[in-house]
Amino acid sequence: MNDKYPELQIGPLRFNLANDIGLLVAAVVVFLLVYWLSRNPKIRPDGKQNLLEWVIDFTNGIVKGEMPGTEGNKFKLFSFTMFLFVIVMNQLGLFINVNVNGYTWFHSPTANPLITMTLASIVLILSHYYGVETNGLGGYLKSYLNPINLIEEFTNFMTLSLRLYGNIFAGEILVMLLRNMALSGGLTGILAFPFGFVFEMVWQVFSVFIGSIQAYIFVILGSVYMSHKAVKE
Amino acid sequence: MIHGLIGAAGLELGDMLFTLVTFIVLMLLVGKYAWGPVTKMMAKRQDKITDDLDYADKSRAEAQELLNKRQSELKNTQAEAVSIVNTAKANGEKQSKEIVAQAHAEASDLKAKAQDDIAQAKQDALNGARDQVADLSVTIASKIIGKELNADDQQALIDDYIKGLGD
Repeated sequence: MNDKYPELQIGPLRFNLANDIGLLVAAVVVFLLVYWLSRNPKIRPDGKQNLLEWVIDFTNGIVKGEMPGTEGNKFKLFSFTMFLFVIVMNQLGLFINVNVNGYTWFHSPTANPLITMTLASIVLILSHYYGVETNGLGGYLKSYLNPINLIEEFTNFMTLSLRLYGNIFAGEILVMLLRNMALSGGLTGILAFPFGFVFEMVWQVFSVFIGSIQAYIFVILGSVYMSHKAVKE
Repeated sequence: MIHGLIGAAGLELGDMLFTLVTFIVLMLLVGKYAWGPVTKMMAKRQDKITDDLDYADKSRAEAQELLNKRQSELKNTQAEAVSIVNTAKANGEKQSKEIVAQAHAEASDLKAKAQDDIAQAKQDALNGARDQVADLSVTIASKIIGKELNADDQQALIDDYIKGLGD
């Protein structure tokens, strides 16, 4: 994308406001959603509580699939939050894309490699932390006597972040290209508009699917990496 | 101001920091306001279901035990009832036989006594009649004899005797 982004420099830190606004909006949406869903929980759940419990069971199931024992319990909230956060970020940019004077002010934060790398770092650094906590520093370091494990750490990080980034970025590009085609104007534009409109809709649906799948894959792979480290052999 | 700061190369470290902070804050808030209450409720529900199932199992076992007890009691009661009826029947029969036997004995006693009485009465009557006949005979004889003892009859009688003697 040859878009330009509004940026803000504070000291040594540079902020890409399109990412940051997206992150903030996604976080607020996630929080408001679960906050609303979790109001006055009951022993006999009603509609919205059922929905929330279904999501909780879903992410708990992901964690339990990798870590069946009690050691998985501390990752359940993490997986739940990560899943909702990623899925909302993936979907947000699909139908909201704010562009003012050539500057993109709002898009899916996960369409930026830096954001996905940060998310992957959170997962992997946490996994290293629990690796040390579970096996002790000696046991943790022993696994790196085999240098292939070091390479694996790097590839884990790259695949986890770039898979998410690539899928969402490609989806956004295609959404944008279809939109540009539909709004190209002129004689061809009149012909292209219906096609562009239909394909845009189809692609958006598909992107919703991809965004959900990618969030699921992100969390499930995070659990796998976590379980490699945090489960005693 | 913001728009002017585009294009500088390098990592947007601020974004990384922002992502990290946003995620951590989001996780804390979700954990406190949504995850906590709902998972607590889910755990509570699981406990309740476990308790209820245990309770149901216990109740069922108790009910089964009670049923068995009732059934055996019922069986005992039935047997008891049958034995009571049988005893009563046997008693009744025995008693009725006794009564009948007693009645027979009494009847034959009465009959014998009555026959004796009759015989006695007959004897008495006969005796009485015999005495009366004797008395009557004596009376009649004395009456006849007294009447004949006037002078003419005496004479005639004597005459008869003498005549007889004379023959």
